[in-house]
Amino acid sequence: MTVKGKTLPQVDLPPLRQVGRPLRRVDALGKAVGATIYAGDFTMPNMLHGKVFRSSEPSACIKQLDVNKARALPGVACVLTADDLPDGKLITDMPGQTGQERRKGSDAPVLAARRVRFVGEPIALVAAETLAIAQQALELIKIEYEPLPGVFDPLEAMKPGAPVIHVPDNIVSSWKIRKGNTEAGLAAADLIVQNTFRVPFLDHAYIEPEAGVAWVDDQDVINIRVCTQVVEHFRSIAQAVGVPHNKVHVRGTMIGGGFGGKEDITVEIFLALLTKETRRPVRLAYTREESILAHSKRHPFIITHRTGVKKNGRITGAEIKMISDSGAYPYLSPYVLLYATVTSCGPYRIENLKVDSVSVATNNPFTSAFRGFGGAQAAVAYEQQMDEMAKALAMDPLEFRKINYLKTGDSNAIGQEIKSAVWLEEEAMQALAALGEKETISDDAIKVGQGFATTMQSYGRIMWFHDTSRSWVGIEQDGTVVVRCGAPDLGAGQANSLCQIAAEVLGVSLTDVTFYNSDSAVTPLAGTTTATRQLYMSGNATLKAARMVREVLLDHAAEHFKKEPSNLDLADNKVFIKSDPEQWLSLADLSKMCAADGLKLQHLALFRAPFTDKLNPENLQGDVFPDFTFSAHAIEVAVDTKTGEITVLKSVGCHDVGRAINPIAVEGQIQGGSAQGIGYALMEEVQVKDGVTRTPSLSEYLIPTAKDLPTTKAIILESGTGVGPFGAKGIGEPALTPAAPAVANAVANAIGVRIHDLPLTPQRVLAAVDRAKKG
Amino acid sequence: MLPEFELLMPRTLPEALEMMNESSRVIPLAGGTSLLVDLRGRISRPQMLINIGGLDELRGVRVEEGYVVVGSAVTIADLKHNVLIAKHGQVLQQATRVFANPLVRNRATIGGNLAYGSPAADAAPPLLVLDAEVELTCKDAKRTVPLKEFITGVRETVRHPRELVTAIRWPILPEGSVGVFHKLGLRKADAISVLSIAVMLHRKNTEDYAQVRIALGAVAPTPIRVTPAEELLSGGPLTPEVIARAAQLASESTHAISDIRGSAAYRKRVITALVKRLLTNLAEGTKEKKHNESEGYHS
Ligand SMILES: Cc1cc2nc3c(=O)[nH]c(=O)nc-3n(C[C@H](O)[C@H](O)[C@H](O)COP(=O)(O)OP(=O)(O)OC[C@H]3O[C@@H](n4cnc5c(N)ncnc54)[C@H](O)[C@@H]3O)c2cc1C
Repeated sequence: MTVKGKTLPQVDLPPLRQVGRPLRRVDALGKAVGATIYAGDFTMPNMLHGKVFRSSEPSACIKQLDVNKARALPGVACVLTADDLPDGKLITDMPGQTGQERRKGSDAPVLAARRVRFVGEPIALVAAETLAIAQQALELIKIEYEPLPGVFDPLEAMKPGAPVIHVPDNIVSSWKIRKGNTEAGLAAADLIVQNTFRVPFLDHAYIEPEAGVAWVDDQDVINIRVCTQVVEHFRSIAQAVGVPHNKVHVRGTMIGGGFGGKEDITVEIFLALLTKETRRPVRLAYTREESILAHSKRHPFIITHRTGVKKNGRITGAEIKMISDSGAYPYLSPYVLLYATVTSCGPYRIENLKVDSVSVATNNPFTSAFRGFGGAQAAVAYEQQMDEMAKALAMDPLEFRKINYLKTGDSNAIGQEIKSAVWLEEEAMQALAALGEKETISDDAIKVGQGFATTMQSYGRIMWFHDTSRSWVGIEQDGTVVVRCGAPDLGAGQANSLCQIAAEVLGVSLTDVTFYNSDSAVTPLAGTTTATRQLYMSGNATLKAARMVREVLLDHAAEHFKKEPSNLDLADNKVFIKSDPEQWLSLADLSKMCAADGLKLQHLALFRAPFTDKLNPENLQGDVFPDFTFSAHAIEVAVDTKTGEITVLKSVGCHDVGRAINPIAVEGQIQGGSAQGIGYALMEEVQVKDGVTRTPSLSEYLIPTAKDLPTTKAIILESGTGVGPFGAKGIGEPALTPAAPAVANAVANAIGVRIHDLPLTPQRVLAAVDRAKKG
Repeated sequence: MLPEFELLMPRTLPEALEMMNESSRVIPLAGGTSLLVDLRGRISRPQMLINIGGLDELRGVRVEEGYVVVGSAVTIADLKHNVLIAKHGQVLQQATRVFANPLVRNRATIGGNLAYGSPAADAAPPLLVLDAEVELTCKDAKRTVPLKEFITGVRETVRHPRELVTAIRWPILPEGSVGVFHKLGLRKADAISVLSIAVMLHRKNTEDYAQVRIALGAVAPTPIRVTPAEELLSGGPLTPEVIARAAQLASESTHAISDIRGSAAYRKRVITALVKRLLTNLAEGTKEKKHNESEGYHS
């Protein structure tokens, strides 16, 4: 493709010393040498081993549950069923934070009592002296089910007379957008393009299955060491086991990947119940197979676009319908659906827009958060629809998009003004230019194609959740720095970024900073590591705290040098006079002086995202996210039209991250997001038949290997216009969002016909090639 | 978690055969890459395993009396680098490059691959077109079974519980033989085959005479030879027309299975396409196109 158009805008970002440099991450060495300790690594003296007994039925009544034999087995410390729980039922369908509502009556029980609604639903817990005994105890549990009719397809579940998962009906949530006059908009079109796209269930397939160890301490506090994205679940855990909030202490470990799958509670309540009952330490670690059975999945969506467009390429109106499968319990389905709804038409200006979205309960595995959180599913549909419209108009896909791209100052689908830079056109051009010319393959059966996608993905939580974060920064008397912040580190470098920010502000190097994080009792609460929010939220909190420390240091140095604080600066572990850097004092000496004078060298800062009220679900209008990251991804594929095999030849991700706090960490996100997006497009699918997973292990559930992935070229742009620290935007989720639709568009470009369903398996490719031949 | 079992550790083959003879419930453990997965998944629960992976008598590749003889405990990684295999079993070596992943290849044995009786065993199609035989040994006897007859159904073989697979062998190929293997998976490494295919072409000096062997994996309950297509092709010149007809016949004569990896209809389509492509490439004396060549990790 030849790429013409805008060149990159020139932005003068203030020079920084630590931020913006590709420094070795503070967590890198530990991982490289195997020193990092993960949740599954912990053992304790006198520790018991836990196991979970799960439903084999997707929809049934439990007629009889007999655990007596299991209880009687020597070495079994306890067996718990719903009858033994404080009030039999209680769990949250939301991460335990502020301002969230739950639909009454549809919360998942901790342990199923009379009714099971999906295969894998927990029914009983066992703790025993050894794992082998715990396993044996599971096999001694007798259960008798009376199968009930189930429903496994959201379309079926919406029909009258369908089995109802939770009274009154299977509608878990719905959102609408009514903007302008869609009927008139469509009537004014020269052309109407309609397509229905489907995306499957996905597993997060993080490298580390869920694991934890729990014990009761001498203050009667239940301690839980666990890999979690949300240490603040401690409140929900306390509620579920019937103890006060301050009697549960979650100690998060470094996480071996989460992608949203460790956003909901996983092993925590089970561990709390078992340790509370036995008063002994208990370990519970899932196998890969149990992990796949136990945790949430990415929502499958059915998305229909009906878009009207003028011959000149201007979109006149769009009607979008979205249906997601929420599985047996709601969890975060309403919010995943909200994200999908808000970005349903993508980063395009559409004045006349009608969106109806609905999330539907079934007896399938439950679905919840997954990197991209509905925004990724929406993008798969809108970016394929954009290419289909360009094709129908015989326009170049980028030229067509340019006519419709949102610009800074425009308002999005729900009327929220976009205040940050929107560099979609620039990003697409950069990505396509880096992709270069198509490779030529001298075999008629192999077709090469290129495609791209441009997307918007929010960072920061839904504003009506009233999100906050806290961070604590202190300087020691030798000039070294400590950051304490509750943010869990997913492995994406969350802690490192906070350290790099503190190093910048306090004039030390990254190696001078030590961090403590992810502890619900000891580190300041920083909220969830979800929603691409930690850099934005805890980054700003850390920046604020570090600046408070800096102010104390500079004020004191100002007295020392008899200068205004504004004439001083901190760098290289020194405070110095800007106009005369030869006059300096070491930070160690300055800190000692401050300490001797009783000054406060440790500060706790609170950062608050903008707060709004809940929007009207019947017509979403207003502000819902703090900001968006705009991204492009370009892909080149070779398709074997005889076997249907697809080879990704080239991949380029281009993202305006506002400001890259650490460019290699950003590149890591782009590489990983791209790999996950390519997997989404080409092979990943949890196949579920009548509620039963047919891909129960990583032998059937395939994720890309190194051989399936080209190295993605990461192009990092910095507009400096984000709402994060130093103008940063988020990159965690946005890195993934454009990759899958880019692959789909490249494949359609190669074979000349659209495959509407992901993943693009060889079988689907061949079927499409056949359709193309038939014309 | 692995269930408990007893593990016998023989030091020699005779000792192993003696132990096998004592009970028909002793299960051989070679690389363990299939067996341990099944144990963990509680698909099988043997009480007693016998570790044969380390037996010297089952190691080594040699040429003997016109045959290539491969010990049953030779690993896939060994085969991948073996010079005798490069010379006399190139089609098999191609399969070793796309077999599993480097870690599994280091442990997985050729004997285990066949003895497990999987329809998707990747060593089977190449060995079928090499006309390989399986050597079975028990305490007092030894017999040789053509590979074609060895695997009888999904995870079923003619092996008696007291027998061990001790070697795989095939006649040295005549001059002018070329073979090719292709594996179709849902990803480019470490995937169970949706379909695998091996084709062997032997030509006399003249262009007009060819003998062809075709084998398929993962399409039927066992790896199979595609006899009707072979017969159609053998003896005559390989014209595009006859290749096309043979490809069609290969597909029509195969009762393909449907599973989570692909439908029967898809498999049949691809059989036609791949038989045609591989034969044409072989006939033209060209190697497979770069794009489709799966080189595997270098380990
Ligand atoms: C991650 C992964 C990827 C894989 N990928 C592939 C692949 O791409 N292609 C493929 O074909 N397979 C694959 N496999 C399956 C497996 O690795 C192979 O089939 C391997 O060759 C089995 O050999 P083994 O030595 O490990 O057998 P084991 O697991 O030790 O034994 C397998 C079976 O054969 C029996 N057995 C073994 N040796 C003998 C003997 N000498 N005599 C009698 N019985 C015997 C055992 O009792 C057992 O029933 C994969 C497995 C894994 C875990």
